[in-house]
Amino acid sequence: MKNLNESVKSRGVLLFAFNSSQVNYVEIANRSAAIIKKVLQLPVCVVTDSQEQLSDIYDSVITVQSQNGNVRFDREGNTYEWRNFDRFKVYEFSPYDETVLIDSDYIQFDKSLLKLFDQPFDYRLQYRMQTPKEYNCDEMGPISLPMIWATVVLFRKTERSKIFFNLVGRIQRNFGYYRTLFGIPTGNYRNDFAFSIANIILNGYAICSEQSIPWPMTTIEENIESIATKGKFFIIKYKDRADVVSRQNLHIMDKQYLLSENFKNLVNEIINE
Amino acid sequence: MIDQIVNQIKLATDFQTNKRILRERILTDLHMPYNNGMFKITPELLAFVTTWPDQVLYLEDTYQNPIQIQRQEFLMKAQAHYQQAMNEWHQQHEELKRIRKV
Repeated sequence: MKNLNESVKSRGVLLFAFNSSQVNYVEIANRSAAIIKKVLQLPVCVVTDSQEQLSDIYDSVITVQSQNGNVRFDREGNTYEWRNFDRFKVYEFSPYDETVLIDSDYIQFDKSLLKLFDQPFDYRLQYRMQTPKEYNCDEMGPISLPMIWATVVLFRKTERSKIFFNLVGRIQRNFGYYRTLFGIPTGNYRNDFAFSIANIILNGYAICSEQSIPWPMTTIEENIESIATKGKFFIIKYKDRADVVSRQNLHIMDKQYLLSENFKNLVNEIINE
Repeated sequence: MIDQIVNQIKLATDFQTNKRILRERILTDLHMPYNNGMFKITPELLAFVTTWPDQVLYLEDTYQNPIQIQRQEFLMKAQAHYQQAMNEWHQQHEELKRIRKV
């Protein structure tokens, strides 16, 4: 484990943005990056296969070849193309000594993640998730182990982190074997599964809180009609109700909302505050 | 008129839900890094550190690691951190009560 006092280190955020046939992830990343720059005040690097719609906000751009598509399902059972492979390559892609890897739909409205860099660690993962309605302790299957969320990962370039990401790559390549071993019913590859399995293996086949981000990630699973600011709050309106939440990081599952004019206006409002 | 009422009811927010989410946010804010450890600042922790007789002690942090504490320095930081987070909570809680119906 690296000593924090060794030297001044470079630190930045890395986003992946691979457009699918249904969702313009590059545009979502552009908007997410604008908020990251304003709130976290860190450089942002993007890994993408499409430079056409990239904004000029990024400090570095890593272009890679197109990936094969995967699929994901939403709450209504709709199927979407999802290009989530090769996330493990972040270790070699990242130009920073200390990296915050964030899914572009996890919008950084507060600085809480930065507190974690005051500590020695190789990597930190999101163990707990909550929605406005409930706490969520997901498991990988009915008889499997707890699942962590690969939505946000903090890591330093250390030997242990390197082993961790190599292991995630190995699990991705041999997902059929590992999903059987860990009792995962679905055959659909998810980074959440691969990161969870790698973490369990690296901890000596044990569940360990040492790598956890100690607070939950707030996720909005429902389809959103609009988000408006009101002082220190967000008013999130859905089809038939609304939530009022303190300004905080939000994992927004509704990709169409993230591409909406309302969200674009919210981003502009935040960055001009 | 009835449409307006229906719309208002549709947008009625669940105060208890919002209250819980605000509390979670404040619990996040109450975490304070110190000497390579991470502490959730609680009244119990403040009381314990206040009454400890020695200047140096070891406390278990959020990650279940024993962290060396300079009592006075820690206490000052922790009190300031606690007060800031709790003030914020009180302020936002009052505001939340006012806007419980959108």
